[in-house]
Amino acid sequence: MHIRYLHWNAAHGWRGAEALREPPQLVLYFGSREQLADGDRYRELRGLHPDSHVVGCSTGGQIHGDDICDDEIVAVAVRFAHTQVRLVQEVVESRDASRACGARLARQALSSDLAGLFVLSDGLAVNGGELLAGITEVLGPDLPVTGGLAGDGSQFAQTIVGADAEPSPNRVAAIAFYGASFRFAHGCAGGWDVFGPRRKVTKAQGSVVVELDGEPPLDLYTRYLGEEEAAAMPGSGLAFPLRIHDEAEPSRQIVRSVFAVDRNARTLTFAADIPEGCTAQLMRANFDSLAAGAGEAGRQARSALADEIAGDKLAILVSCTGRRRVMGQRTQDELDAVAAELGDDVVRIGFYSYGEIAPPAASGRCELHNQTMTVTVIAEAAA
Amino acid sequence: MHRLLARQIRQSTDESGKVDLTKLGELVSAAYEESDCDRRRTDRAIKLMIEELEQTHKRAEQDLGRAREFLDSIIENIPIAVFAKDAKDSRYILLNRAGEEYYGMPREEMLGKTPEQIFPDKIARVVNEQDRRVVDSGTPMFLEGHLLEVGVKGRDRLVNSRKLLIRDGGGAPQYLVGVIEDVTERIRNEARISHLAHHDALTDLPNRSAFNAALGERLEQAQEAATSFAVLSLDLDRFKEVNDVFGHPVGDMLMRAAADRLAAEADGAFVARIGGDEFMILMPDDISREDVLGLAERLVETIGTELEVDDYLPHVGLSVGIAFYPDDGVNAATLLANADSALYRAKREGRGRVRFFESEMDQELRDRRLLQHDLRQALELNQFLVYFQPQARVDGEVIGFEALLRWNHPTRGFVPPDQFIPLAEENGLIVEIGEWVLREACREAASWSRPLQVAVNLSPVQFQAGDLERSIHQILLETGLTPTRLEVEITEGVLIGDFNRALNLLRRLKALGVRIAMDDFGTGYSSLSYLQSFPFDKIKIDRGFISNLEATPQSAEIVRAVLSLAHALHIPVIAEGVETEAQRAFLAREACEEIQGYLVGRPDLIERYLDLVGVTVERRLYA
Repeated sequence: MHIRYLHWNAAHGWRGAEALREPPQLVLYFGSREQLADGDRYRELRGLHPDSHVVGCSTGGQIHGDDICDDEIVAVAVRFAHTQVRLVQEVVESRDASRACGARLARQALSSDLAGLFVLSDGLAVNGGELLAGITEVLGPDLPVTGGLAGDGSQFAQTIVGADAEPSPNRVAAIAFYGASFRFAHGCAGGWDVFGPRRKVTKAQGSVVVELDGEPPLDLYTRYLGEEEAAAMPGSGLAFPLRIHDEAEPSRQIVRSVFAVDRNARTLTFAADIPEGCTAQLMRANFDSLAAGAGEAGRQARSALADEIAGDKLAILVSCTGRRRVMGQRTQDELDAVAAELGDDVVRIGFYSYGEIAPPAASGRCELHNQTMTVTVIAEAAA
Repeated sequence: MHRLLARQIRQSTDESGKVDLTKLGELVSAAYEESDCDRRRTDRAIKLMIEELEQTHKRAEQDLGRAREFLDSIIENIPIAVFAKDAKDSRYILLNRAGEEYYGMPREEMLGKTPEQIFPDKIARVVNEQDRRVVDSGTPMFLEGHLLEVGVKGRDRLVNSRKLLIRDGGGAPQYLVGVIEDVTERIRNEARISHLAHHDALTDLPNRSAFNAALGERLEQAQEAATSFAVLSLDLDRFKEVNDVFGHPVGDMLMRAAADRLAAEADGAFVARIGGDEFMILMPDDISREDVLGLAERLVETIGTELEVDDYLPHVGLSVGIAFYPDDGVNAATLLANADSALYRAKREGRGRVRFFESEMDQELRDRRLLQHDLRQALELNQFLVYFQPQARVDGEVIGFEALLRWNHPTRGFVPPDQFIPLAEENGLIVEIGEWVLREACREAASWSRPLQVAVNLSPVQFQAGDLERSIHQILLETGLTPTRLEVEITEGVLIGDFNRALNLLRRLKALGVRIAMDDFGTGYSSLSYLQSFPFDKIKIDRGFISNLEATPQSAEIVRAVLSLAHALHIPVIAEGVETEAQRAFLAREACEEIQGYLVGRPDLIERYLDLVGVTVERRLYA
């Protein structure tokens, strides 16, 4: 497997390392919505790689190596020696259709030698939890699925995904990898701690929490953030995700962050459904604990990659926008922590997202996460 | 150097190695700002969290307070005394309202005090002893149905009490909790129910099941100790008549009075009422036959003495049968059966008597039971026959027949009616048999060419049970016999008992056209008032007077008197048992209308009298 890293900025256009000797099967790119929306960048990449699958999404910041940037588009072109790559995609008409869309997507990818699925989804128009449930329904709990929900900085206005086309909203793409040589390792961790009293979700409708302990949830967040910061909701709400305890599945670790606010109803919409009657507890983190969490994700992914590997290794880092918001300039600390665990021989690219997809450490079933760092390592085994 | 600052310097340094101080300043300033923001957020979160935790704590305390109030009000209001004490020194720390009532003092006088400070020494010692036992052993104490040691509710109250130990978090004894429940009423109710189960409600004497238990126990003891004892079976004579004549309230009062007298006279013996008018007495051990007889006779005497009940003076008698353990039986069933045999003999011999069991009584009783068994099957097995005996005018002209029931048993042969008819009356079979006789007699008579009378006897039992009027009506319709050809013969036994009902029935039968004859006149009470109360169609003079006509002059006088009485009342008379021409001649002289007896003809199958009922009429005239 061989990788070529490219990046684009307004001053210099596309630049990159030496071109691959053989044409890549896959080109992966991440950039801000503003940079990608006009489709020019896609068309340029298509021009460079006419026979490759070109897939990417909007973000809340791009990751390349130890660096985080907002004004550059990052990309990798990947040439596999043995692995077959297929790109499948669907359009989600409404949030309610997310589960069915996930199932359709999975059915397109389904094959006996399917070895892994990397999903990039619209981050606002899709119910991520339902999408994943639909995928798992078809593929079963054992097939590894990772990926992330596209971001839109701290604007929460629109997210776009492009799959062999100009990026557009309401789209879900999945890169399916086939073959026995393909290696797909992953890790996922947060670094958040619960604090304060446990609260009851006294009223909820799907992913909208209407009452916490009989009180509008926006009031609680306004108290904790202060009026000034509360005005910047939902972005500022990312500082206090909710830990959900579902009595039906006590061992399941669920963290949900806010991504929409209804200031009239004083309700909050979360990234996935929150069952009425469950217990919720606020979470917070500091720079060090978040960095340590990211390091843990890197360690999990690295230790899962047991085989002898031939050629390059690619790590795709998907971290939550909320983490970047809390860490500010310290965000780089978490990238350093991942790098330290993965080692220098792994090419790292990634983005800040509105939701992360990976099986949690405890269970194999892939889930939608918030406020985590997820690391997916792609490689091919030595023959 | 802090790695953030190192990173900031790196970011502010251009390719030539020159540091852009303005950019560095901005980065450092932004980092400070971020840190401040994070600190503010953290501070605010900690402060809010503390507030919220305090509120939660307060709310939990309030909830706890409410829960305690709730439990307190339950404990305060349950009608069972509840107390709690310090496990170390038995000082009272809680007492509910029922507890105040139980101890007879307000809780202020008890709380904070030890038993010694509250109770008399003796009681305090008992209480402390119990407390120490529960604390030392750690096992709860339960005391059931014991008398109150302390308190004001009265010495006769019974309580269930329990004490249990409550330990603290470290497992050390902390509290003693006690519960005292007044179960006096419950225990009394249980005793009352048990008494009801073993006693007769009317007389309060032990009932049959209590008697059986006592007898069983006595038999066991007697077998071990080789003692003897007597069992008396008693029956009130004519008690049923008292009920019929005076009504049940008087009957009940009489029964109570009789029971009292029996119990008083048989003091020291076990007296039980085991059924309607039946009693049993279990005598103490080793009483001689003479003494048992003496007591039995005194019992007969005391019951025979008129009892004044509610202004009535009903007269009843007592019959007694006696059986001895072990001579007359070694088990309960035999002893009871033999005492009953003796009683049966006493009653049969004329009531008001005392009889010891004798072994032949046993046989007699068994015979009787066997006969009863056979009787039940007789109808089904077609063993009954109807015999006809002619009835004639005094000049010899046959005017009808009396139908008479006969039982021809395959092995016993002909069983005398005076043996089986009382049995059939006793067990009620007479209703069915009587109906069969009626039907047979009517069918036979309806087949005759000559419209002769047919007379059928009715038992008093038929009057009491079943629907006699309907069944006679039905039989007449079935057989097509003209009602006026049927004559039913009744004895005065029909009228004793429910007189009005019997009279009513007779009137209705008469309304059907059926003739009514008074049978066996001259025997029994022969109350003239019966003759006055109902227009009988015929009087039948008992055979006893006729057979004695020649031997005793009184008989002739009685027959004359009856005839003149009947003639005065315009009631025809038939004499039965006429066997000689002399008897017939006497009756003819005294203007007796009709005769029946061997002189006219024996009872026999109708085949023998076909000439009398048929077309060929043979007149046998007597000069």
